Amino acid sequence: MANAHEILNRIKSIRDTMKITKAMYMVSSMKVQKAKKKLAETLPFFDGLQKQIREVLLHFPEMHHLYFDNRIEDERELVKRKIYIVITGDKGMAGPYNLNVIKAAREKFSEDEDYRIYCVGETGRHVFMAEKLPVSVDFRMSSNNPSIHRARVMCEMLTDKYKNEEVDEIHVIYTRMRNSVTSEVRTEQLLPLRTSRFLSDQVKKAAQGEIVDASEMEIFPSPEDVLETLVRNIITGFLYGAMVESQASEESARMMSMKTATDNADAMLSELSRQYNQFRQAAITQEITEVVGGAKALQKKKAKKKAKAVAEEA
Amino acid sequence: MNTFHLQIITCDRVFYDGECESLIFPGFDGQIEILAHHAPMATTVAVGEVRFRDAEGKTQAVIVSDGIVNTADNTVTLLAFSAERPEEIDAHRAQMALEMAREEMQRKQSIVEYNLSSAAMARAMARLSGAKRIHPDDFNT
Repeated sequence: MANAHEILNRIKSIRDTMKITKAMYMVSSMKVQKAKKKLAETLPFFDGLQKQIREVLLHFPEMHHLYFDNRIEDERELVKRKIYIVITGDKGMAGPYNLNVIKAAREKFSEDEDYRIYCVGETGRHVFMAEKLPVSVDFRMSSNNPSIHRARVMCEMLTDKYKNEEVDEIHVIYTRMRNSVTSEVRTEQLLPLRTSRFLSDQVKKAAQGEIVDASEMEIFPSPEDVLETLVRNIITGFLYGAMVESQASEESARMMSMKTATDNADAMLSELSRQYNQFRQAAITQEITEVVGGAKALQKKKAKKKAKAVAEEA
Repeated sequence: MNTFHLQIITCDRVFYDGECESLIFPGFDGQIEILAHHAPMATTVAVGEVRFRDAEGKTQAVIVSDGIVNTADNTVTLLAFSAERPEEIDAHRAQMALEMAREEMQRKQSIVEYNLSSAAMARAMARLSGAKRIHPDDFNT
């Protein structure tokens, strides 16, 4: 009987855990929707910024700005000091999401000598700190609920470091959603901006026919100033987008793993309740056998007594 | 009156997309007005109030954070991080943000922190003045 009782306990605890995973599934699915909506809303802004940079670059193709990767000085630097911004989740229970980012980041780190890690999200920070990797301590960002404000603070810190030439390259490692089911870890170079990304060859060719000289477009106060604002907006926008997209992937990973957990719990429950029923059935059968056995024994005893009495009488 | 196409795009929505007669925005050295058929131009927008008159002649006010204006082919694109109508602004929150920024400015700060809090202050002041419908210049301190 003790065994049946144990099974009942187990069923109860699984039911309780299932309530949690179900609730987490629901919360995550809400958050995915929210993050996806946020992401879709930033798209027109981001496209607009890209277009503007492209236009400025088209008008001033000979411009060699600190923010671009076509500077001559850059080629002289032998060792590039890099900053890696690694966007992970704040919490676990999201399937392979955090692990994938951390794996990709480790791979990147193994190629470099001089780098620092800027962590967004607690999980990544804990892992890299434990591995004694150069994690920047004055950069503590949560990855939950990304906001423009957080992106602004990050942009300010990064551009300051970059302009003082404390770093040569800034990369972002984040997770991108390919569709609602699959996501992939991506590494993008944030600074210096890749001019080729804005100026694909086709655009260049098409533009050569139409606009060649800069006089056709006035830029106030100067191309450098406009670029400064544009680049800052691009960086802030990109960081914001990367954080939102990472969160969407995180929540969708969590949603999936919670769904699997709930399904597993369901399977376990049905198996356990089958076992429990078996035990119960066995117990009942045993009881019946005992009762029947007892009754038979009594009957036999009675019959014997009767036989004895008859014999004595006779 | 001649009109041009105006797009005000912020990072979380397309704020305005339609015909417009005139657009006045805070430029790098003062207010700049754009009318129809403006020459191609790109310039920066400071934090402050943008006013534009739509095709029906109604003037609308928007408080924007820093951004970029671009004109080409009788189309004007204003890209800013945020844009709010005066009635959308929570004056109480803006006041709180202003006070916090002011307090932060009092402290000894690094350049990064200084830049951040002065930008926050500019935004808070622009939003407050927009909410109160007074000119930014009237706002002393």
